[in-house]
Amino acid sequence: MGEMEYDGVTLEVLWSRLISIVNEQAAALMHASFTTVVREAGDLSAGVFDKQGRMLAQAVTGTPGHINTMATCVAHFVQRHPLESLKPGDSLLTNDPWLGSGHLHDITVVTPVFHRGAGVAWFANTCHAMDIGGRTLGAGARQVFEEGVNLPIIHLFREGAINEDLISILRANVREPDQVVGDLYAQQAGNDVGAEKLLAMMDEYALEDLEGLAEAILDRSEAATRDAIEAVPNGRYEDAIEIDGFDEPLMIRAVIDIGDRDLVVDYEGSSPQVGWGINVVYNYTHAYTTYPLKCAISPSVPNNEGSFRPVKVTAPEGCILNAQFPCAVGARHLVGHFLSQAVFGALSKAIPDRVIADGSAGLWNTQLEGVDLEGRRFAYIFFSAGGMGARPTADGLSATAFPSGIRGVPAEAIEAVSPVRMLRRELIPDSGGAGKHRGGLSQQMVLTVDSGLPAQHSCMYDRTRRAPRGFAGGADGKAGELFLSDGTPLAPKGTYDLQPGQTVTLRLPGGGGHGDPGDRLRSKIEEDIRQGRVTVEAAERDYGYRAS
Amino acid sequence: MSFALAIDIGGTFTDVVLLERSTGTLSIVKVLTSYPDPSDAVLDGTRRILGETGCNPAGIERILHGTTLVTNTLIERKGAKTGLITTDGFRDALEIGREGRYDIYDLWLELPEPIVQRRHRVQVVERLNPDGSVRIPLDEESARLAATVLQEARVDALAVCLLHAYANSDHEERVRRTVQSVWPDVPVSCSHEVAPELREYERTSTTVANAYVQPLADRYLRRLEEGLRSQDLTAPLHIMLSNGGSCSTETARRFPIRLVESGPCGGALSAAEWGRQCGISRVLAFDMGGTTAKAILTDGGDFPITTESEVARVYRFKKGSGLPLLVPVLDMIEIGAGGGSVARLNDLGLPAVGPESAGSSPGPACYDRGGGEPTVTDADLVLGFLDPNHFLGGEMTLDVSRARDSIASLADSFGGSVMEAARGIHRLVNENMANAARVHAAERGVDIRPYALVATGGAGPVHATGVARLLGLPHVVVPPVAGVGSAYGLLLAPISFDFARTRVGRLEQLDVEQVNSLYGEMEGEGRQVVKEGGVSDEIQVARTADMRYVGQGHEIRVPIPSGELNQGSREAIQAAFDEAYRKAFGRICDGVPVESVHWRVTVTGPKPVPPPLRVAADSESAVKGVRDVLFVEGTEPVEATIYSRYALNRESQLFGPAIIEEAESTTVVPPGWVARVHACGALVLTHEEGDDG
Repeated sequence: MGEMEYDGVTLEVLWSRLISIVNEQAAALMHASFTTVVREAGDLSAGVFDKQGRMLAQAVTGTPGHINTMATCVAHFVQRHPLESLKPGDSLLTNDPWLGSGHLHDITVVTPVFHRGAGVAWFANTCHAMDIGGRTLGAGARQVFEEGVNLPIIHLFREGAINEDLISILRANVREPDQVVGDLYAQQAGNDVGAEKLLAMMDEYALEDLEGLAEAILDRSEAATRDAIEAVPNGRYEDAIEIDGFDEPLMIRAVIDIGDRDLVVDYEGSSPQVGWGINVVYNYTHAYTTYPLKCAISPSVPNNEGSFRPVKVTAPEGCILNAQFPCAVGARHLVGHFLSQAVFGALSKAIPDRVIADGSAGLWNTQLEGVDLEGRRFAYIFFSAGGMGARPTADGLSATAFPSGIRGVPAEAIEAVSPVRMLRRELIPDSGGAGKHRGGLSQQMVLTVDSGLPAQHSCMYDRTRRAPRGFAGGADGKAGELFLSDGTPLAPKGTYDLQPGQTVTLRLPGGGGHGDPGDRLRSKIEEDIRQGRVTVEAAERDYGYRAS
Repeated sequence: MSFALAIDIGGTFTDVVLLERSTGTLSIVKVLTSYPDPSDAVLDGTRRILGETGCNPAGIERILHGTTLVTNTLIERKGAKTGLITTDGFRDALEIGREGRYDIYDLWLELPEPIVQRRHRVQVVERLNPDGSVRIPLDEESARLAATVLQEARVDALAVCLLHAYANSDHEERVRRTVQSVWPDVPVSCSHEVAPELREYERTSTTVANAYVQPLADRYLRRLEEGLRSQDLTAPLHIMLSNGGSCSTETARRFPIRLVESGPCGGALSAAEWGRQCGISRVLAFDMGGTTAKAILTDGGDFPITTESEVARVYRFKKGSGLPLLVPVLDMIEIGAGGGSVARLNDLGLPAVGPESAGSSPGPACYDRGGGEPTVTDADLVLGFLDPNHFLGGEMTLDVSRARDSIASLADSFGGSVMEAARGIHRLVNENMANAARVHAAERGVDIRPYALVATGGAGPVHATGVARLLGLPHVVVPPVAGVGSAYGLLLAPISFDFARTRVGRLEQLDVEQVNSLYGEMEGEGRQVVKEGGVSDEIQVARTADMRYVGQGHEIRVPIPSGELNQGSREAIQAAFDEAYRKAFGRICDGVPVESVHWRVTVTGPKPVPPPLRVAADSESAVKGVRDVLFVEGTEPVEATIYSRYALNRESQLFGPAIIEEAESTTVVPPGWVARVHACGALVLTHEEGDDG
């Protein structure tokens, strides 16, 4: 069946119903999940796939690292377990970083759907597990074996019965067995809701299978993406950025080849993989490359297999962006979050009006462990965002995460459940790069731990050595800094003991500016001074401002 | 004789209704809403209704009032110039927010502008710990300085929000005293009173919003009370709140932010009441107007309440783009689907309807007021659902040829012929509404199928059966007096107010004495608030707590036993948590410890029980004629019988295809549906299985 089967209204009705179904799938999953990042930050993805494992629709949730990796993951399931080999009530899973989303903490559950005895579709979702054994989540491992249990593609359910062997192995290996196993049930519940609603839709519209609908959806999306690419001038555009890395700086180099109706992003020339847990598997590189491309080129085209077709992403094997088994990958976001900057940097040479300047990009991940005043052990992790890069039409957003889609945690919530005390949390004046449009301001946090004993502080921070760049003549944002109360500077990816009574100050990176600072409206400079976002000294130095 | 009076201010009309309790007679006056001072129209309306009915003002026992003043003040940013006094190091909590983006693909998004400018956020030296103990004592000199700075900056209202003040109000109270000692007449909102809940961004946002709207709300309510008194209306005046209850004007003046988003509450209460009168407890209240459609699920008259609401969104239909408020509101969805929703092609070249709306000006093409884009109303007119000569009871004539012309421009992509395209528009808007309702139900773990759809709003009864079919709901109820459903609903609002306190702690280590004293405090305040509303007996107190498994980020609401708690109460609370958790998620996690976050009390006065309404019957013939109508399910137009709703007898029934007309709306009865007039006056539409294949 081809697209001709459907008139426009019917296609739109069926398509929007599919989107509604995957949103119901995601809602059912979130509703039942135990994991804070899943429920509070929407750190999950959910979608429906056709017989061949091509993604047709995806729930509106979360963060790019999951959204785009799941799309490629399902094809591996289809390859190993074709629909004909499965039965109703079967369900499969994996957390293999090289098949899924790049680290062991993300588990993907894939469930076949049968309609009148024949396999017609798959539902899949990926969720961040509360724990997966091994070391806790971080960059410190030297090989993936240290990072937890690796589950290849295996059955979670067989004809409705849970795989007891899998569950026993998992329970024996993770720190919070009830919650980790509970989340697997939640993931299955989401897929079951999706399947039930899909079958109801197929009955309502008397659909034998989804093939005709799939072709129509994928072809439309592909065409829309190709149209969007066609509007970008052909050419070869490149950019390279340097980031802090784990113990030595890393290079990310992107070359974007824009053809008439397709494009290729190649990362040849980027640094080789390293001996710490910040390596990025190809899937994750693909995800964090297609995400900024979509933001800049085709934001309104729905995410599905068709919209990915015109885009090819390549990275040499063994490069940090196509890292090979068994390297460690736990904190792959510390590198992956920066791909958007190389992509935007390259695109800025083709479509300068549709990309934003560098921002702090990598979330600052703070982990504190120790003993509270009553002698109880505690461990607390939270994520924070610096400034976003300035836009060609507007200032950057202050203390806002990009490209990650995650949300932060209030100081009161942190303090209520841990002895961590946030003594200050405020925007840093002058931290946004000067420009016609100013970079977003970053934030400063001053932390201590109420304890009689030293607390271990694991740092996962970046952009402390190289500042986020300004675009189109805009100045760089301020680089990040961290230091103790006595002024001792700290390594951005180190672990050290924070002594009782001592404080640590984290100053996150600010966003880069956009456009010549000399073109900034005087009224905007004055407003920034009035509100304390820019000091008079900086205004004079960076903008040539003179009070009248 | 005893009466109740309700006054509901809408964007266009202010509705005034008077209910005579003994006979159930409802009198209605509609006046144009007045700007800038809406109390002018209110007083004009009350004067007219007293005049028309000859009602003695002394016979009126209660006056209820619903106003969009607070919401509009926030949307239009027309509140007082507000200053914030906060803990040293935290002036930017209001701006840092939750560090997220509400649309992950939009590089150009804007965050809502904080209500208080950065330079009007002043810090004081003090610091509390999460258990309320003092880390740094309050430096009163810094508070005095803060007051002076803000006084010199000429702000008109002050908010005080200190870190962890939900656990200990002492510093906030002392800051207020210090401020008022140097600046006696400035209104001050303190976070421990407005929203004593953990999470500084949301609490600060709520407190500054309260301060921002307070001077305006205060002036408005004062004027209104004086005006009513001058008409000898001395009955207690109660203001509609966003939780579906009402409160005295004294309470409303202190906590005006609790009035926010109270606009749709009257309609929801009214829908639940008509469901009850028809013997239906589970109701999907569905209100479709010119710009938006709203829906809420209610069971037995109880409404789901959320305390995570937002107001003044940057993009009206983008969740997360507004100012967060810790205010209990009815948990309702609003989507961009109304009579004015515009049909067009989306970026993929596919047909789409809404959320853009032609509004009422220029309005749909058929209004002939300069609007040329095809809308849902144009489609409904072309399909034959609407009578061009009977819109708004004949006050307005619709231009069918303009409607056809506007749709013709899209006909190719929407189905070929003008009729097919009109049907496509009608189908798509129904799908949008049904999809939104489905996801809303799924997010709350509710199976929607046993619910009946109660339709209100001008476009609601036109689209109700279509939406019900898509959702698999067999029954639709169309209440009488749909045009003043919201004002009628005000008459059903009991006095009710919510209180909350935050104490985070594990259930196994629960300090029952502390909880007893928190509940004692809140219930004492609650009884006071209800008494201010003129109620002294039949006060109901409902206790709940927000609890979660340790490690989770979201709480669920758990009912807590009344009376003095003791050591044994822990088990009862654990059991209540287990039950609530199982109900929400289908299972529990044995052995995982549970912690409480917020303790809550809702204090409610008696629920008003309205008498059966007497609606005057019309002597004209029920059947007005026939016309050709293209229903969604059919391929060709069929002849439908046109009825006047006013002439239908109670207990009578009629079969689709039919159209039932009344002044404010039109009820569509497709083939395969039967409509019965219930004894209470509501139309009950039922889908008879199999009649339409």
